[in-house]
This record gives sequence, C-alpha cells and structure tokens, in this order.
Amino acid sequence: MARYTTRRDFLRQAGVGTVAGNLAMGLPSLVRGQASSDPVRRQRLIFVFSPNGVIPDHFWPSTLGYEFELKRILQPLAKLRDRTLTLHGVCNKIKGDGDGHMRGIGCLLTGIELYPGDIQGGSDTPAGWSQGISIDQYIKNALQANPATQTRFGSLEFGVMVPERADTWTRLAYAGPNQPVAPIDNPYQMFEKLYGQAKNRAMLASVLDGISADVRRLEDIISREDRHVLHEHLAMVRTVETDLQSQLAAKPKDVGHAVPTLAPNVEEENDNMPQITKMQADLLVNSMVADFARVATFQITNSVGQPRMKWLGIEEGHHALSHEPDSNEEAYEKLIKINTWYCEQVAYLANRLAQTPDPTGWGSLLDHTTIVWTNELGKGNSHTRNNIPFVLVGDGLGWRMGQALDFENVPHNRLLMSLSEAMGHPVKSFGNPDFCGDGGLTGLA
Amino acid sequence: MIIVDGMDRSLNRSMVFPYMLANAVCFLIFGLTNPSLHADDSTIDTVDSTFRQGQMIYRRQCASCHGERGEGVEGSFEKPLVGDDSIGQLRDRIVDTMPEDDPESCVGGDAQAVAAYIHAAFYSEAARLRNRPPRRRLTHLTSRQLRQSLTDLYAHFSKVVTPTKERGLLGQYFDSSNFGQPEKKFERIDDRLDFDWQHEGPGEGITPEDFGVRWRGGLKVEETGRYQIVIRSTCAFACDLGAADRVFVDNLVQSGDKTEFRRPIVLTAGRVVPIRIKLLQRKRKTEQPPATISLSWIPPHGVEQVIPRRHLLPIDAPATFSLQARLPPDDRSYGYDRGLAIDRQWDDSTTAAALEFAGVCVEELWPRYRQRHKEKPPEQVIRQFLGGLAKVAFRGEVEKDLLDFYVEDQLDATEDHAESIVRSVLAILKSPRFLYPDLDEGQTDSRLAANRLALTLYDSLPADRWLIERIDQGQLQTEAEVRDVAQQMLDDYRTHAKTRQLLYEWLNLSQFEEIIKDPEVYPEFDARLVADLKASLDLFLDDVTWSADSDFRQLLLASWSYVTPRMAEFMGPQWQIDGQQANTFVRTAEGALPRMGLMSHPYLMSRLAYQDSTSPIHRGVFLMRYVLGRTLRPPQEAFTPLSPELHPDLTTRQRVILQTSSQSCQVCHQKINGLGFTLEQFDGVGRYREFEEGKPIDATGGYTDRSGAAFKFQNASELAVFLAKSEDTQKAFVNRVFQYFVKQPIAAYGVDQLDRLTTAFRENNFSIQQLLVEVAVIAAQPSVRSAEES
Repeated sequence: MARYTTRRDFLRQAGVGTVAGNLAMGLPSLVRGQASSDPVRRQRLIFVFSPNGVIPDHFWPSTLGYEFELKRILQPLAKLRDRTLTLHGVCNKIKGDGDGHMRGIGCLLTGIELYPGDIQGGSDTPAGWSQGISIDQYIKNALQANPATQTRFGSLEFGVMVPERADTWTRLAYAGPNQPVAPIDNPYQMFEKLYGQAKNRAMLASVLDGISADVRRLEDIISREDRHVLHEHLAMVRTVETDLQSQLAAKPKDVGHAVPTLAPNVEEENDNMPQITKMQADLLVNSMVADFARVATFQITNSVGQPRMKWLGIEEGHHALSHEPDSNEEAYEKLIKINTWYCEQVAYLANRLAQTPDPTGWGSLLDHTTIVWTNELGKGNSHTRNNIPFVLVGDGLGWRMGQALDFENVPHNRLLMSLSEAMGHPVKSFGNPDFCGDGGLTGLA
Repeated sequence: MIIVDGMDRSLNRSMVFPYMLANAVCFLIFGLTNPSLHADDSTIDTVDSTFRQGQMIYRRQCASCHGERGEGVEGSFEKPLVGDDSIGQLRDRIVDTMPEDDPESCVGGDAQAVAAYIHAAFYSEAARLRNRPPRRRLTHLTSRQLRQSLTDLYAHFSKVVTPTKERGLLGQYFDSSNFGQPEKKFERIDDRLDFDWQHEGPGEGITPEDFGVRWRGGLKVEETGRYQIVIRSTCAFACDLGAADRVFVDNLVQSGDKTEFRRPIVLTAGRVVPIRIKLLQRKRKTEQPPATISLSWIPPHGVEQVIPRRHLLPIDAPATFSLQARLPPDDRSYGYDRGLAIDRQWDDSTTAAALEFAGVCVEELWPRYRQRHKEKPPEQVIRQFLGGLAKVAFRGEVEKDLLDFYVEDQLDATEDHAESIVRSVLAILKSPRFLYPDLDEGQTDSRLAANRLALTLYDSLPADRWLIERIDQGQLQTEAEVRDVAQQMLDDYRTHAKTRQLLYEWLNLSQFEEIIKDPEVYPEFDARLVADLKASLDLFLDDVTWSADSDFRQLLLASWSYVTPRMAEFMGPQWQIDGQQANTFVRTAEGALPRMGLMSHPYLMSRLAYQDSTSPIHRGVFLMRYVLGRTLRPPQEAFTPLSPELHPDLTTRQRVILQTSSQSCQVCHQKINGLGFTLEQFDGVGRYREFEEGKPIDATGGYTDRSGAAFKFQNASELAVFLAKSEDTQKAFVNRVFQYFVKQPIAAYGVDQLDRLTTAFRENNFSIQQLLVEVAVIAAQPSVRSAEES
C-alpha cells in the first residue's frame, strides 16, 4: 500500500469520500481500482534504463523485507529509502534469436522474442526487432483510449547519448511488432517537441514588430496604387501580433508552469553526458507537471553503451569494463562507481519529483509517480538475464514501498502484467503467454 | 471551371477607381451617357455618325436591360456586355434576338450601328483595354514561387543541378557487407531498382551470402506534390533522401518479414533529389532470405510504379530542400495563379514555411557553413551566414540598418546560436522584402533584371553562382545581355518544370481530375493505363518543347506519340511496336498513327468525354476557350446530356444537335459544336474509330474566327492544320504563356504587347523556347516598370 502518513491523507489522495472510504477500506483492491480510475489522480510510470548489468554484491540488499539496507550502488537513494522497492529474482526468460544484450533490451519491456533477422551480436543467432509492443506503449495506448487519462503525448521517450543508429541494442520501447520507438536524446529536440509551438509563437511575436516597422519604410518606395497591398499586409501582421500576445499572456495557465530554459549550446558529446542527463530529467519533470504524458521511458545510453565517465576518473568505456572478470579489482571498483552514478541520476529524478507539488494539488509528483529503474542484464560479465535489476521508487502504483523482495526466479512478464494492472489496466498476459501462466506478481500491493 | 482572360475579370475588381474619375470628366465634356468611354482625342475622331446613331439607339432600346455602359442591370440582364464576337456576329445576333420583347424593331442599318457602337465603346477587348488599361500589380509570391524560392535559398548554400542526358542510378557492388574498398567488384548504371537475386547474388565475383551494394544518384522530379516512396527489400538497407546524411529509411536491421517501407514526402518540381541506398546481405547463421530490392513511388494522384529510368540520374546530386508545409491555393480569379490573397491562412502558411526552413538551417546549413569557416570566430561566421541568407532572400544588397534588425537584434536576443538563427530566418522569411518580389527598389539594373528573370523562368530567386556573378559584374544591363542570360536559363530543370506546368494550364489539365470509365464500355481502362497515358503526354510535350526546333505547331500536327505495350494493347494495332519492353516508352514513327497531335491524344480525349461516350461539347468548349482563347459564357442553366439509351437511333453528334437546337443554346453552341464534332473520330478514350454503333462518323465541323472569317473542316486532321495556322490559336497560346510565366496581364506591358509578341512568335518559326526567352526579356525590362509607374 502506498505510503500515507494518515488514513485521512490516504482517503484524500485516493479521492474517495469518508463513507465510501469506510466501506472500501476492507477491500484494498477496490480502493486501488478506484484510485486509478479517479480522474483527479494522475498516475504516472517512468522507466529508467541503464546498461550492461550491475555488480550484484553491491547492488542487491542482503536483508529482505522492511529492514533492508542500501548497498553502495543504491546509496544515492538513502533519503528515499522508505519509498524504494527492490525486486530480486525477476528474470528475463525470453529465448530465441539474438544475443544476450539484444534480448536483454529488446525483450525487457516487451516480454516476447525477437524476430529472426540479420543482426549478429557477439554470440547466438542473428535477430531483428521485437515481436511485440512494450509495456510502456501498451499502457500509454490504454490511457490514451480513455478521455479521463488522455494527455497530449500519452508517452514520452527520453534518451541520453543514444548512438545515431537504429538497431536492436539502441531501442527499448516498441509501438508494436517490428516498430521500435526512437528515444529523443537531444534536450533541444525534446524541448522543441514539448514547447516548440509556444516558443515559435513567442519568437514570431518578438520579430513582428520589427517587420511592421520595415513595412512602413517600404511604403515610401512603392507606387500609390500598390500601397494598399502593403496596408493590407500590415493589418494582417497586426492581427497576428494581437492574437499572439493574447495567446502568450494566457500561456502559463495552459501549460501549468513556466516554460523551462535550457542551457545554450550544449553539444551531444561524451563529456557533456552528466549535463544532458540532468537537462533531460528536468524536462521530464516539467512535462509531468504539464501533464504532457503519464508514461515515459528514460533510456540512458543503450545496451552495450560505451560512455566514458571521465568525470568519475574512468577513461574506459562502460561496456568494455563490464566484460572484465570480477577478479579484476580495478574494473570491479569502476563498475561499482559507474552504477552508482546511474543511481544518482535516478535519485536526482526521484528527488525532483518529490520536491515538485503535483499540479492537482494532492501532494508531490512522486506521490503519484513510480520510477522503474532497470537494466538489460543481471550482471555484465556473465550476460545473465536472471535477477534483472528492478528498483522502484515512488508511489504511483500504490505498492508497498520501503522493502526488499525476492521472487526467486519468476519470469519478468509477470512483473510487466503487474505494472499494467497497477496502472488500471489488468491483462491476462503480456508478451509471450507461456511466461504469464501464473498471472501478475503477488505481494506488491 | 471558367477561364476568362485577364481583362474580363479585371472589370470587376477594385482598381476601377481612378478611371471612374477620369470617365466622369469625359462624361461632362461630351455629355455621353456612357461614362466608360475614355476621353482622348482619338476617341473624338472615331465618334462618327454611325457611332452616334448606334449610341442613340443603344440608349433608347438596350440600356434599360444592359446598363448605360453595358455593365448589366440587376434583375434583367446582369452580366456585362463583353466578349470577342466580331461586329458582324454581334449585328446578326441583334437582328435575330434583340431587343427581346421586339426583335423586329432593331434590324438592318440600326443593328449594324448598335453593334459598331457596342463593339467600340465597351464590348471588344480593345475597348476594354482602352477604357481600363491593366496595370502591373504588387503581388506576393505564389505558393509555387514560395516553394521554389526556399528551395533555391537552400541551394545557394549547396548547388543547383545542371541537366544531363544520363539516366539510371550508379551502383557499386561489393563482395562484402562491410563495403571495404578491396571488396568492390564492379560498378554499373542500373536503369531502375527492381532486383530479385534469389540466392544467386547480383553478379560475378560476389558471394551470394555476404555482399553489399551502394546506389547513388538523383530523383528527377517533374511535378510538385505529395509522393509516397516505397522501398521493398528482404535485406537490410538504409536510404538517404534529399541530402547525403538525411536519413529517409533506416532498415539496417533486417527483422522478420518486415520488407516494405513506405514514406510520404512532398517533392518539388524541377529539382533533382539526391538519393543513396545502401543494401547489405549479411552472412548469418540462420536461414537467409533471398535478396530482393525495389525502389518505387506513387506520384501525386498516380499509381505505384517502380521509379522509371527517366526519373533517375546517375549523378552526385547536391543536397536539396523541399518544403513539406502545406500552402493554400492561390487566387485564380484572373484565370491563373497570382499572389493576391492576403489572409490569415496565407500568413500562417508563410510562418509554417519559414519555421520549417529555419529548422533545416539549424540542422544542416549552419553546421556545414560553420565547418567550412572554422578558422574564423563563430560570432563572425554566424553574421556572415545570416547576412548572406538575407541577401539571397531579399534579392540584393541589404543595407546596414536592415541587417541591424534582421540579424543583429536577433543575435542579441539570445546566446543560443540555434535560437538566434531561427529568429533571424523567421524575421527574414516573414518580411515583405522576401514575400513580395517586386520590393527590390534601389538595386542595380543587373540585379533587377536577374530577379525578374529568375521569377519568370524559375518561379524563384537568383541563387545560382553563375547568375550571381553576372549580377555582381553588372552584365545584365542591355537587352542583348538579358536575352543571352534568359537563353541560358532555358536549359534548366526548373524552367522545364514550369514549362510543363504552363502546357498543363494551356490544356486545362492543371487541376487534377480522376478519369474513370464505364468498365463495360471500355474494359481495361484502369488507373495504370491512365498513368501511362499521362506519362505519354508528358514525354510528347517535353519532346516537342525541348527539341531543337521547339515548334509549337508540332504540338498540334505531330503524327507520332510515346507508347507503352500496355497502351498499344489498349489503343489498337497502329500503336504496336515490335519487341518493346514492358513499362518502357517508345516513340512511334512519324505518320504511324491515324491522329493529329495533342488534340487527339488519348489522355486529353478521355478526359474530354463521358464515362461511356464522347462529349463533343466538352471538346468544343475546350478548343474554343483554351486552344483558340475565345470567350464563352457559361450556360444559363445546367443540362443533363440526353441519354443514349433513350435515343438508340441517334449518334452522339445527332443527340448533341437535338439537345442544343434552340435559339438560346445556339448563341454559343453554334461555336462549340462545330469544333467538338471534328473530334468524333476519337472515341471516349481517344481510340480512332470510323463507325459509332454501326453508323459512319460524321466529323465535319467549322469555326468562325475573331475577324469573322468562317472555316469548314472535314475532320480532326483539317482542324489540326487550321489550328496550327490560326492566329487565334497562336495569340491564345502567347497570352497564356505570358500570364503563366509573368503572373501579370500582358497588356500591362503595353496595349499592343500581345500583338507584337505574337508576331515575334511567328517570325521565330513558332519556337516555344524563343517565346519563353522573349517573355522573360519583356518581364525583365526595367523601362517597362518605370513607364508603368509613371
């Protein structure tokens, strides 16, 4: 159950009146159902991806349950410990074509095999794209189909330093079979998508005055008969100007917040990765405030991603390091640092959400948002897809947070089903039905 | 659609005002009741006794219905009395029908006098010109001109393609999907991309399991509009379109049975769009599908086809820009597109266009420019970039105080380069200095001439390096220099595309209409055949226009055509050519076809027909209005054609005669039917016939020209010979060319300009190319401008 300080808080946030609440309290599932269909509450789900597996010994809590401890890699979440949930024992069991990394990312949110294809990874058979839709896109479609949960974009796909290359390793989200969705990894491009129209209007408004002044100068050089054409043109410019002014004046109310400003001229370069990640996280928070979407993916690099985290004193690429045996102490230490850095990004996003009031007036954004931080591999050097890192932060799904759980080897399809159900859209199966037989995971809510 | 020439419509428009004042003066001096008569000495001389007599009769018997100056009277006869009948034709009509209540009261000399008066005072084209000489008007860029201008603005930073005769795509074949140079086995020109190599591989020395092919070249676009590009391949591939690094389709992952890729894109006529395709058959552990690839498109309103060889150029085409934003249609109230409408829709579309162009500046032009000038400080380079852009967009030197606003202020507004570029480009492209091409006062004579030549021939602005050099060196001062440059500008895909569009306007084909036929009457007349017919027409038009002679009369007289096997199969044995390959066009031999030129081309003939039969009326109206340039009023009410089923004994000709026999119909139909009947030898889809339902075809007809001379024809062949010689045809064509290319009425360049230009056309052996040059020269002369303004 979500984290509410008082019962009254719960009822208020769940949007049920006292009487109904009294009745509902005995039926937890009904309460959750109510919460998700309540038009006031905006339930949100954000997937954060980081690549190349983790160092399990410094990632997974040793103690299960509410008494769990945060190991080194998860330390950045210390302040949010009570709103964090770790899910050990959830395994990506999808087989078929494609190497470990490809199936790692391509089946992570889709839960279904890759098509046969011609992309040869490091081992195994070659493969193409995923055979099915990913869970984020599935939930997005469901939310968009309902006017009460419809938003401007439905979902947003953020990226950071994703290579200019469409292949199985660079795509996390799928709109359907063979339909990978490209993440937008350039903050300016994302800004353009989110605020482009408003920004363009503002720019147009600011140049029209100068154009009008120039039109008046032109009047002197043209014949009397033609002057009326310019007068007409000028009148048109003035109409547009007036319209724009009133639109711009009304803007803050529409967007719900001031349009953010981005630092200028940040190039997409390895060394700018921390700054780009922060810019993207800020834009993501802003778009949640604006209710542009209630589902998002935030894909930091890609499967086999090779960022060189020089800002941590690490010159080697991440993927190359991740292949080193555990006995390589230097590499091992670096990988812990790299993973800790990724966790810091998750923590930054979570903290921003926690600090930002929900525009509906009910608590913070994080009270209604769950971040699912995940990875294509359990461990880099073994390429295992067992024990896929799943760390959840926030109360969007209404799950019991502040604990460490171990499901002991369940297919990850069942987690995907649980996510959909918690977002108000229960499914009989998701991805390959062979892995869905036992339904969603129990004990989360 | 009704096409009336420029003069007709200008009567209704707002520029009447100053002349009304002048006419009021003339009314006081002469006491004429017709205030539209212009007061000058020559008018007084022509006011002879017949004129006065006609005037008196008109005022007494006609003015109550037709208005004091033929402007029409609400409630009785509302349309203005204007047209192009001769005095004799007018007289005959008056004798027969006027006044309506008592036709007998105005006959003989009276009718002659009234006809002469009406003709001289306001009815004839000359009278209308005299009364209200048309004027060049300040207009904004039409949609086509805006599109083309932006494309050339981009090309200024890239390059413009020079025409080439070569066709196909250049293919480089590698014995590896890694494209290593040592593995390159051969290069060749592929006529089209439509390969199924199965498991055999594309050629000698190439391992079928692991190979790569790179194609590069350009797509030659002849028609502006929305295309769908369709690439099918069982292999991984990537396609760049528009620029070497502009990804159009990325399928570097071959996945499952995803083998078809469709992408819509707006392409611009007269442009060559660079295309690069890289195909990879990768060796794999699993079963490998056979290797196939095809490159197809669906042109605007067309059908899907493998992109034909004639649209592929094996050259390194430079990067190009094609505006994707939708632009509203232009004002056509003068019968041709003009930039007259200033409304919100237009304004919004120019904003969308400006923003789209600003986007490509940020994405492509600026990074490339900065790279080329990387030794200089970025603050300097960005000023140079935007200043250069303003110069091309404003068609000339830009004064410093203008740059202060259009560039400096926008740079000051933000630190972000991308944003300042968007601001500056938005300001420049929203400026009337860009949108109204005539606002280029104060530039050098050479610049003014070049601006007009580019607008006239390319629908664009000067951006080509060679032309800018001519401007900078002041080499466009004399008429000979201007003519020389205009001549050079003919050999350009932009001019070719504009000329094609002009011919479509002339043939009234510019507005798309789907041609559908009754499958029971014309089986196998389907969309594919129509696509072939249209392409056949295009090839014919290009062939005649761009041949050495460029003889206009060939358009009417040619006894050959372009044909595909599909067409030949449908059209009949005379069209067959031995050994012809499917989907390719071949020119038939001279005299091979029982037909004459364009007028019997099956594309035109099937459009000018009903679903199940011919339509002599449509054909006649077309010949009258478009080919002969004559005025026709629309019918007073709508009629449904008589059904063939109800009149099984009658031929189409007989049914038309029966339906249009009343006197009120005959006023126009005596002109229409006689022309339309001559094409009866060509059935509803343009196939030659000698019988209709077992009855022999009567293709006799006739025409009375502007001067009143009557001509008789036995068939379409005699009509074609007549049309090719007719001054009406020539004048109509010259007028159409001028209007379409200059977008101003020709009389604004001198009341007798049409006559002079037609004479020159004749003296140049009816060379279309030469006519285009002369039109451009007239449009470019600065003296015409200043004369008009004074």
